[in-house]
Amino acid sequence: MAVLTVKNLAKTFNLGTPRASRVLDDITFEVRGQTFVSIVGPSGCGKSTLLNIISGVEEHTSGEISLTSDEGRPARMGYVFQDPRLLPWRSVLRNMMYVQDDQGEATVARARRYLDMVGLAKNADFYPGQLSGGMQQRVGIARAFAVEPDLLLMDEPFSHLDAITARGLRAQLQDIWAQSKKTVVFVTHDVVEAVELSDRIIVLQPGGRIYEDIGIDLPRPRRQTDPTVATLQAEVLARLEAMKELGRTTEPVA
Amino acid sequence: MSTASQATVDRRRSTSEIERSTPAWRRRLTSDRAARVAALLSFLLVWVLLSLLFRRVPGPVEVVQRLGEEFARGEVFGNFGSTLYRFGIGVALATVVGIAIGVLMGLSSLSRAFFESPVLVALSIPAIIWAFLTVMWFGFGDLSPIVTTFLTSVPFVVVNVAQGVRGVSRDLRDMSSTYHVPVSRQVRDLVLPAVAGYIAAGVRFAIIIGWNGVLLAEWFGGGGGVGYRARWWYDANRFGGFAAWVVLFVGFIVLLDRFVLDRAIRRAFRWRDS
Ligand SMILES: Nc1ncnc2c1ncn2[C@@H]1O[C@H](COP(=O)(O)OP(=O)(O)O)[C@@H](O)[C@H]1O
Ligand SMILES: [Mg+2]
Repeated sequence: MAVLTVKNLAKTFNLGTPRASRVLDDITFEVRGQTFVSIVGPSGCGKSTLLNIISGVEEHTSGEISLTSDEGRPARMGYVFQDPRLLPWRSVLRNMMYVQDDQGEATVARARRYLDMVGLAKNADFYPGQLSGGMQQRVGIARAFAVEPDLLLMDEPFSHLDAITARGLRAQLQDIWAQSKKTVVFVTHDVVEAVELSDRIIVLQPGGRIYEDIGIDLPRPRRQTDPTVATLQAEVLARLEAMKELGRTTEPVA
Repeated sequence: MSTASQATVDRRRSTSEIERSTPAWRRRLTSDRAARVAALLSFLLVWVLLSLLFRRVPGPVEVVQRLGEEFARGEVFGNFGSTLYRFGIGVALATVVGIAIGVLMGLSSLSRAFFESPVLVALSIPAIIWAFLTVMWFGFGDLSPIVTTFLTSVPFVVVNVAQGVRGVSRDLRDMSSTYHVPVSRQVRDLVLPAVAGYIAAGVRFAIIIGWNGVLLAEWFGGGGGVGYRARWWYDANRFGGFAAWVVLFVGFIVLLDRFVLDRAIRRAFRWRDS
């Protein structure tokens, strides 16, 4: 079981220069086990920065961050980006193999299994340029699941897609997650999407603090048409409207 | 005025309609191929005119004759073969070393700082200087043309590759490091394919610049080869023989570029067209 611990995390870009800007101020939370956590907040509040610090691409300025797995090996991470980030000169399957440590037959079979789960079994030998944007994004999702990550990071993976494609992929993501039960940290600016997918929503406010930490206790699978889902979505939205009125200068409530 | 009631109809013609209304001979005359043929013909025409005007310019017919005589003397295969051998080794070395240094320079700012000035200096040294130096150092033999070819062409490969590597998508490199893809695999499967176009451009330069090097080193050295043979005719004041060798080698480079390099490059970029 993976445990992600973030404690008093802060990030200042261009530290020590006149352009210094503090994006994350004081972030503390912990995620353990098979939970789907969303990080929600308005554009520019530091969600991607937080995710990049967790993944190790970005360094943090102060505070602590750790990821442990009890499998007796370093924790593995998967990352689904806002854009597909595929190598255009490699076929779909070979793109998935590019990020795998093990290049053996069993790993190929696993990659094919996840490709099948996102409905692209027939496209294994296609080049990314031959797929639509939605299909490419599905390859990115399959690639992330296929490394069997202890922690799966997703950064607004559906925000570049049209509404119909995005809805289909959200349903598909719910299915795959139900089968594989990974620990997921999912970044989005869309509260409605967060409520549909998550067990827990961490709300980030501008200025880089946590505004609220909300548990979402709804049965799965969740449908957009289900009135209880819609009610909760409206309720969380209303709470975020209240945050906006507090503005940048206010102390966090949570 | 009655113009107010008149409607203006702007009817545009479709591509198929335009194509149907253009006669075939006109389409052929305005094609790219026609332009290439025209360039070749005007070159030949200018050559013939110059040879008619100046006694010391051998015309195409004479050059072909001299070439035929060289073949008959059995001079062509041996000399051409040794030039190709030296040229091939020099360009191959320049490609391998150039890619290695270029990738290093593109990936690490430390090695960029180290190699930047030497590469710039090397770029500005003309082939003739290397030819003199290597003949002085290594004497007559295969080594001086090989080293001259290598030294004149390697900086062009380095500069092209380094520029290509710096342009490799930051997003794809971030993706690779979040997944902990080993550096060797990143170089092989991400960096090299991404800079394939720059490598191809670099190798093309290497070939075009490098043949200056090989011919010059052979010219001043004495170990046989196309350059040596061209000089032999030049010293004998027989410009027909001299021109025959130059034409032979230039023709070879052009055909190599057209039918081997161009095709190899197109094959490497299959993924782009699909
Ligand atoms: N490399 C960087 N240098 C300076 N500022 C940055 C950098 N990356 C992000 N920022 C700033 O940090 C803030 C948060 O960015 P980001 O984490 O991308 O927000 P979000 O993902 O929530 O939309 C933005 O104001 C952005 O301009
Ligand atoms: Mg973002």
